[in-house]
Amino acid sequence: MSNWSLRAGSVLVTLSILLLWQLVTTTGLVQPIFLPSPSSTFANLLRGLTRGDLLALTISTMERMIHGWTLASLGGILLGALIGLSQRARYWLTPTLELLRPLPASTLLPVGIALFGLHPNMLLGIIAFGAIWPVLLPTIHGFSAIDPRLREVAKNLGIGPLAFALKFGLPNALPDVTAGMRLSLTACLIITVVGEMITAQQGLGSTIIMAARSFRSTDLYGGIVLLGAVGAANNALLGLVERALTPWRRARA
Amino acid sequence: MNKTSSRLAPAAEACAQPAIAFDGVRLDFGGKCVVDGLSFTVAPGEFACVVGPSGCGKTTLLRLVTGLLSPTRGEVRRLGVTVDGPSRDVAIVFQDYGRALLPWRTAAGNIALALEAMGVPRLARAERVAALLDKVGLAGHGDKYPAQLSGGMQQRVQIARCLAQGPRVLLMDEPFGALDALTRQALQDEIARLVRDSGATVLFVTHDLDEAIYLGDRVFALQANPGRLAEVIDVGLPRPRDQLRTREHPEFLRLRHVLFDHVQKTH
Repeated sequence: MSNWSLRAGSVLVTLSILLLWQLVTTTGLVQPIFLPSPSSTFANLLRGLTRGDLLALTISTMERMIHGWTLASLGGILLGALIGLSQRARYWLTPTLELLRPLPASTLLPVGIALFGLHPNMLLGIIAFGAIWPVLLPTIHGFSAIDPRLREVAKNLGIGPLAFALKFGLPNALPDVTAGMRLSLTACLIITVVGEMITAQQGLGSTIIMAARSFRSTDLYGGIVLLGAVGAANNALLGLVERALTPWRRARA
Repeated sequence: MNKTSSRLAPAAEACAQPAIAFDGVRLDFGGKCVVDGLSFTVAPGEFACVVGPSGCGKTTLLRLVTGLLSPTRGEVRRLGVTVDGPSRDVAIVFQDYGRALLPWRTAAGNIALALEAMGVPRLARAERVAALLDKVGLAGHGDKYPAQLSGGMQQRVQIARCLAQGPRVLLMDEPFGALDALTRQALQDEIARLVRDSGATVLFVTHDLDEAIYLGDRVFALQANPGRLAEVIDVGLPRPRDQLRTREHPEFLRLRHVLFDHVQKTH
């Protein structure tokens, strides 16, 4: 099947879901207080973005998400490189990491609040903690699973540990790391929104939960649509970055 | 690059020190004796081939020269100095070029790796990489990734990376074993030429008896369980050698018989 018809199909599916949504609401099958029509949702969204404070709230959520993601990515890559390259670090740290990994970040929020209070940096720390795993685990694997033949090449050339990490480890890990960073960004968005909901810090999360509690359904759905758009845009952007960072993966004879 | 001086230096020491010397070498690995009682020398600039059945320790022999393995007993010397680890004077070409090249670097980048390791400044690298690409017949392919090159071309990249080290000892571990017959012959002639130009000493492991006689000044035949030297054959064939005329030479055929009989006996 051609690329063109695949794309056309995806647009068609999206449009028919919107159409179905419109039909369900205009026929009165579902009350607008539970599910507003897409047209009124988008109109409200546009109004909020242009005249209200929705744009500022979106920006503050995205800022928090991106800061948390940067922390998670840097931490994940540095810690992952250390654990991947050093067998000793692997032995020492793996059990602790395996204990921490399954903890849902949302359960740590109350702990964070109790220990550090409702500080914005506390939320940032929780976001980074919850989103570090998709980066950390592939980084460890990428740095530790270097072909033994390449290790031999490095040894024969007398390549030092730092140059080995940068010239062999990092590129070997890069495809997995970038894929992990994409997953991590999604995790960041989720934890940011949940965190905002729980800690009532300015952002889309708190706006959505306030809208839900006061039955402002167009605001609620507008927020959700906005979050979906943010997530999709992030993923598309990172996909492009990933392709640019790993050109050899597309190189075929 | 001070190519000329590095070419002349080993020649000056030629009479003094063998390039590679094994002195009663034994290696135990995992409770098993892999090679035992290995004693031989390779003169500077000599092309020495090593043949023998699988499990006779051919690859182990190379690793002992690189210093990645240390003998349990005896001593290995390179240019008169006891081996205690890898040195950039020694380059090794592996059979599995696909695994020995960095997939994330272009052909030029892979060759530059050796220059980076030697601390050659960035500006000087490009020119030397271009010269090396030209030397192995890959001019114009420098910006291709290994995945975009044929097997023969990938092996040329690996050879170029080894030559970039300016090695005085070149080790080759069945370098052409995975290539088709035509590519293989082309590379045999090329390596003979490149080695002669560089003046490096070569230890060339192969399981192809014809290849060993065609390329070598001497052929070491090993025996398995444990690996030990069974026979050393001097190859007196004139150089430069020719794929047709050399292989039809009566001496070539005689040596082939000798080696073949030997392998039959010890296999």
